[in-house]
Amino acid sequence: MTRFVSTCHLLAVINRKTKLTEKEMKKLIYVENLKKEFKKTIKDPGLKGSIKSFFKPKNEIITAVKDISFHVDKGEVLGFIGPNGAGKSTVIKMLTGILTPTSGRCEINGKIPYKNRKNYVKEIGVVFGQRTQLWWDLALRETYTVLKEIYEVDDESYKKRMAFLNEVLELDDFITSPVRTLSLGQRMRADIAASLLHSPKVLFLDEPTIGLDVVVKDNIRKAIKAINSEENTTVILTTHDLQDVEDLCGRIVMIDKGSKVFDGKISDLKSRYGSSRELKFIPENPDSVKSLDFNKEFNLKSEDMAYENDGVTFSVRFNNDKIGVEKLLNYILSKTHVKDINVSDADIEEIIKGIYRSEVKLDA
Amino acid sequence: MRKIFRIYKPFTHAGVLLAAQYRANFYFFILGDILRCFINYFLWHAVFTSGGNKTFMGFSEVDMVVYIFISFLTSVLAYSDGSYAVGEEIRDGNIAMRMIKPIRFDLAFLFQELGERLITVTLIFVPLLVGVEIYKFVVTGAFAFNIVNFIIYIFSLILAYLICFYFNVCYGYSAFVLKNLWGANFLKDCIVGFLSGGVIPLAFLPPVISTILNILPFAALTYTPVMLYLGMYDVPTIIISFGLQIFWLIFFIILQQIIWNACVKRMSVQGG
Repeated sequence: MTRFVSTCHLLAVINRKTKLTEKEMKKLIYVENLKKEFKKTIKDPGLKGSIKSFFKPKNEIITAVKDISFHVDKGEVLGFIGPNGAGKSTVIKMLTGILTPTSGRCEINGKIPYKNRKNYVKEIGVVFGQRTQLWWDLALRETYTVLKEIYEVDDESYKKRMAFLNEVLELDDFITSPVRTLSLGQRMRADIAASLLHSPKVLFLDEPTIGLDVVVKDNIRKAIKAINSEENTTVILTTHDLQDVEDLCGRIVMIDKGSKVFDGKISDLKSRYGSSRELKFIPENPDSVKSLDFNKEFNLKSEDMAYENDGVTFSVRFNNDKIGVEKLLNYILSKTHVKDINVSDADIEEIIKGIYRSEVKLDA
Repeated sequence: MRKIFRIYKPFTHAGVLLAAQYRANFYFFILGDILRCFINYFLWHAVFTSGGNKTFMGFSEVDMVVYIFISFLTSVLAYSDGSYAVGEEIRDGNIAMRMIKPIRFDLAFLFQELGERLITVTLIFVPLLVGVEIYKFVVTGAFAFNIVNFIIYIFSLILAYLICFYFNVCYGYSAFVLKNLWGANFLKDCIVGFLSGGVIPLAFLPPVISTILNILPFAALTYTPVMLYLGMYDVPTIIISFGLQIFWLIFFIILQQIIWNACVKRMSVQGG
């Protein structure tokens, strides 16, 4: 009998092992047809509307995430970008087990986040740039001691870990200060350290560089890079800073209005949209711009050149590969006098808009 | 069980540190409560002096004074901030930060609050209890501290606190629906204060009402422990009281779990 039991046990162990290797061979993160709807109470304007909605609330269903699928390999750094309200944070919240998807599937490391949340979150680290997981009133060190117990990290690994995090994130200067006295940059570093204390397999960073100055941003990027390369930690990062994406992410997934609009390498994105530039100028005499006719002069397709005039500023978005900056400048300066002029890379919103436009065109 | 203590002990520690951070706030609260206690005392003193009766509804003046102070002590000790704490975290969306940790929401709050209460207990429990006993000694001339009643009282008090905590957690979850609990909390504190016998002994109410209130969970919060301390109950009543307390504790623990599971499914995090 005992032999039978032990054989069974052995089989079960082998079974579990093979299952594990199977899972390991699969991608680390699977997201398929993820969808999230929220119920929102709508209220008519004014006091009367407030009173009315207090007694008889009208509900409206808002789809924050429509249908998103992607997967991530182990050790990858994935940039998750899109304009405000695109649904990035909602996706992150579903992946971290905070929100339950309305439909669709997500599986991380073979686990479903919103089922058995307690067990799942042991393997991930999360930083929400707009919130803190640190204890506001306690010295930073106290937070780490609390986390050490929560994640059941033994003393020796804790010491090693703290030494590593200290080296990467330079926490020593403020580790004894109460969290409420930390600057935003220090707090963010402390938060990232807190999310990494238990050596998670996946690290979720929701806008980790929000509101930080250039130097601190750079430090944080270096830290993320170091963690990714030294521990092969998979990182999922949302940001509005194109520089973050360029420095860190091998691949990006771009979403807009709850749908995926781009998924691919950053180099693909750059070759498609990196040559997009924007030229803005303020004419001395607003009427003088009427003499400008870009279509006739350059004869470019609308996706390679587009312009806009809001009465004060005149802006031209153009593809640098198709037309040189000098040529365009010469043309404008020959036709009109300008007060101010400026040429820049198209910013992230511009790129997203560009991609979104071309997607719409593909559908049509 | 030991594992639970090991994991959640740091929350208690953090709670103590947090309470220590806001000492002044805490002193003012206690001071306000003690003043209210003395107002009650003088009110009842006037009732007994003007009435001329030695007893009122089975309570002598000494009983009444002890009741006022012990019910005050009980309601302070068995008070839980759970609904404020839970409601506030839901309102500002910080509940998300708790959900990304491998911890149980209720236990984390419970242990943190225990830490915050620790100072309250040490600061007011002993002085008030000793004060009440000295008063009894001075007025009646006999030392009547009953150690058995005291031990029963402590057990009942612990149960009362846990019931209060879980009741408040359930209540706090309504922030998922109401979004802001400030007004609702105020209402709750007033109603619970009355129904739990914190204002007047439930025995003073008409028998039908007092029987109903005795069965409801609110009596288990203040009235039951105080009556046990005063030694007003016989053995069968004591057993029934404990039975009721344990029943309500289990009831609220289960209810809390059900509400939590339901809310998590339809949760939306406020504030990005």
